[in-house]
Amino acid sequence: MLDIFQNLLMGFQVALTPEMLFWVTLGGVLGTIVGMLPGLGPATGVAVLLPMTFTMGPTAALITMCGIYYGAMFGGSRSSILINTPGDGAALAATFDGYPMARTGRAEAALAMSGIASLIGGLIAAVMMVFIAAPVSRFAIKFGPAEYFLLMIAALSMTASMSKKNVVRGFISMFIGLMIATVGLDAQTGTNRFTFGIMELQGGIDFLIVIIAIYALGEVFKSYKSIQEGKVKMQTKFGKIWITKEDWKKCWRPILRSTPLGFIIGALPGAGGTMASLMAYNNEKQLSKNPDDFGKGEIVGLAAPEAANNASSVGALIPMLTLGIPGSGTTAVMMGALLMLGLQPGPLLFTNNPDVAWGLVASMFVGNLILGIVNIPLAGVLVRVLSVPPRILYPIVLGLAFIGVYAIGNSTLDFYLMILFGMLGLGMEKVKIPTAPMILGVIVGGTMEVAFRQALSISNGSYSIFVKSPISVSLILIIAVSILFPVVKEWIASKRKPLVASFMDGEDGGV
Amino acid sequence: MVKMKKMMAAVALTAVAALALTGCGEKSGEYPTGKIDCVVPGGAGGGWDTAMRTVVKTLQDTDLVSVPMPVTNLPGGGGGVALADLQKKVGEDRVLTIYSPPLLLINLNGSSEYGYEELTPIAQLMTDYGAFVVSKDSKYKTINEVMEALKADPTSVKFGGNSAAGSMDHLQFLVAAKAAGIEDLEKLNYISFQNNEGAAQLLGGHIDMLSTGLADVSALIENGDLVGLASTAEERAGEGVIGEIPTLKEQGIDAVFYNWRGLFGPKDMPAEAVAFWEETLATMVEAPEWSEACAKNGWSQTFAKSEEFKTNLDRYNEEYKVILDEIGMLKK
Repeated sequence: MLDIFQNLLMGFQVALTPEMLFWVTLGGVLGTIVGMLPGLGPATGVAVLLPMTFTMGPTAALITMCGIYYGAMFGGSRSSILINTPGDGAALAATFDGYPMARTGRAEAALAMSGIASLIGGLIAAVMMVFIAAPVSRFAIKFGPAEYFLLMIAALSMTASMSKKNVVRGFISMFIGLMIATVGLDAQTGTNRFTFGIMELQGGIDFLIVIIAIYALGEVFKSYKSIQEGKVKMQTKFGKIWITKEDWKKCWRPILRSTPLGFIIGALPGAGGTMASLMAYNNEKQLSKNPDDFGKGEIVGLAAPEAANNASSVGALIPMLTLGIPGSGTTAVMMGALLMLGLQPGPLLFTNNPDVAWGLVASMFVGNLILGIVNIPLAGVLVRVLSVPPRILYPIVLGLAFIGVYAIGNSTLDFYLMILFGMLGLGMEKVKIPTAPMILGVIVGGTMEVAFRQALSISNGSYSIFVKSPISVSLILIIAVSILFPVVKEWIASKRKPLVASFMDGEDGGV
Repeated sequence: MVKMKKMMAAVALTAVAALALTGCGEKSGEYPTGKIDCVVPGGAGGGWDTAMRTVVKTLQDTDLVSVPMPVTNLPGGGGGVALADLQKKVGEDRVLTIYSPPLLLINLNGSSEYGYEELTPIAQLMTDYGAFVVSKDSKYKTINEVMEALKADPTSVKFGGNSAAGSMDHLQFLVAAKAAGIEDLEKLNYISFQNNEGAAQLLGGHIDMLSTGLADVSALIENGDLVGLASTAEERAGEGVIGEIPTLKEQGIDAVFYNWRGLFGPKDMPAEAVAFWEETLATMVEAPEWSEACAKNGWSQTFAKSEEFKTNLDRYNEEYKVILDEIGMLKK
C-alpha cells in the first residue's frame, strides 16, 4: 500500500511540472475542439494530433495523448447537447436528454452537468485505476468469446427495449443496425458480403458514417422546413453555466453508480465507451421513479452516461497497461505511438519505465481536473451556438458532417452512404423507430458475430459454452430482465389501475 | 457585428479542421515530397505493426527520410481488407505497406482474390519465427505433450492465433503437427482472434495454446505470465527470454517455419519510387539502430532488394502451395 502512494507521489512529481501541466492542458483543449466536430472522436483526435507528440519525450507524449483523449470525450458531448450531433459513439447517449434540455432552455445546466459528471467519473475512475487495476484486469481476461457475445447482446437488448412502449420498434432498429454491420469482407473467411462488387465496401461501413448521417444530417433534414419558415426560436439570453441544488441532489447517486460500471466495461478489450454510456443510461432509466421523463430533458439521463463514458476511457487504459493489448480504438493508436517511442506497453511498463507509467496515472487526475476547470468557461462560449440562426448554423453543421465523413476513409463513396443513411434516419423518425439501437448494432455487430463463431469453435459446436461460466449466466439473466422488465412493468401498471392497490406492495421486487 | 464574429469563428474552425485532415501543403523538390502513408494490414501491437513502426522510426531517427510517415492500421481478413483497399492506390508512389506469408496464404486458400502479384515488392527486410506458447499454469510443459494429447484426441487442445484460419499462425502449427506425426490435421481446432486478442484469451484460459510470432508475446513471457514451448526457428534466435525458447528441432520435431517480412508498394508503383525505397532501406539495414531493433525483436536480417525479393516470393508461393494442399486447404 505504501508503495502505491510512493509511486503515485513520484507520478505527481512528473505530472505537476509546468511542462507537463502545459501539455495536458493543451492536449485537453485541442481534444475538446476535435471531439466536438462530428465524426472526429478520441481515436481520430489522437491520430490527427499525434505528429505533435513526436518531438516530445515519452512521458510528455503519453500525457499529451491522454489529454487529447479525455478532452475529446468531454468535447464529444458538447455537440451532442448543443446541436444533437454526437462527436463519437460514446457521446451518443448525451443526445437523449442533453439536447432536449438545450431545447427547453436548460443548455447551461446541461453543459455544466455533463462537465461535472465527466469530471467526477474521471476522477473516481483514476482512483480505481490506482488501487484495483490488477484485479479488474484479471476479471477482464475472464471474458472469453462467449462472454463477449452475451455482453454485446445485453447492451443491445437493453438499448432496444429502452422505450417500453416501443420494444418491437427498438428491436427492428437493432436488426437494421446488425444488417448494416454484416457488409464487408468477412474477417473469418474473407468472403465478400453485400459488397455488390464495390471495393470500398469491403472494409465495411464505419459506424461513424451512420452516426453523422442520422444525427447531423438528420437534424438538418428535420429542421429544413422550419429553417425556411424561420420559425425556430433562438436562445438569446444566457445564464451562468451551473446547475441547481436540485439537479445535484438528483444526480449524485446516478453518477456514483455509473462510474464503476463505465470503468469495468471500459476495461474489457473492445467494449468501449458507447456500450458503457448506453448501459448506464438504461440502468438509470430502469431505476428512476419517473422513467417517462427520460428522453425529454431529464438531467439524470445526461449525468449517468457522461460519468460512465469518462470512467470507461480511464478503464480502457487497463488492457494496454497490464497486458499490452489495446482496449479501444483510441488506446490502439496510443499503443502504436508508445511503440514508436521505444516503450513496450504492457505489464513491464511499470517496472521498466515507472516514471512514465506513474506519471500517466497521475496525469489522469490532473488532466480530468484541468479539463473540468477549462470546460466550464469554454461552455459559456460554446452555448452561444444556440443564438446562431439555423440558416447559418445548419450549413456549417452540414459542411462539418461532410468533412468528418471524408476524414474517416478518404472515400467519396462515404458521402453517398451518409446521404442514404440520413434519409433512412429521417424515415425511421417518421415511423417512430428509435435510431440508437441501430447505431449500437452497427458498432458491435461485427465483433459480436466473430465472438459467436469463436465461441462455437472453442466448444466444437456445442451451445453449452454460453452457459458455462458464472459471468455468462449473469449476463443471460441481465438480458432476460432487460427485455422482460419493461413489459412486466407495463403489464403491472395496466393491471393496477382497475385493481387499485391490491398487489402494489411487490412493486419494487423482481430486479 | 457579434453575429459576424461568430460566423467568422465557425468558418475558421471549419478551415482548421479541413487543413488538419487533408495534411497541409506540399513542398516541391525531389521524391518524396509529401507524406508517405504507411499502411499496416493488421491491428496495433501485432507483428506487422511492430515491424512497420520500427522501420518508420529507424528511417526518421537516422534522418534517411524527413517527410512525415504516418502509420495507419487497416486490419481484417488476415490482411485481405488492406490488400483490397490497396487496389484503389494502383500506380501511386506514396503508399507503403508491409506483408509476410499471409499475403500469399490468403490468396492460396481462397480468402482473398488478390495476391502478391497485385503489389510491388520493394524489399525483404527480416525473417522471424513462430512460437507456441501456453499460460504459466498450463498442464502442457513441452511441445511433445501437446502433440501426444492431439494424437489421442485431435480436438483436445484448443489452439488459437492472431491470423485467420488457413493463414500463418494456423499453418505454422499444422506444419509442426504434421512433422510430429499427427494425421487428422483438418480436425485440429483453430480459433482465429483479431486485434491481437489471442494473448488475453490465453491468459484467461479460453484457449490452451497460442500460435503466434516470437516477438509478439515476448513481454508476457518475460513477465512470467506465459511460457514458450517451442519456436519454429532453425536454431535459437534472439536474446533474453526469447533466446531461451527451445526450437521444434531440439525437441525432435523436424519442422521449421520462416516468417519473412518485407515492404511493398501498390501495384505499378513508379520505378523511381521503388528505386528510392530500395536504396534507402539498403542504407537503413546497415545502421546500428536497425541491428539493435532486430536483436530486441528476435528478427534475423535477411535483406533482399526488389528483384530478389520477387524471386523469393515466387519460391515461397510454390512451397506454401504444397503445404496447403497436403492439409486440404488449397483452393483449387
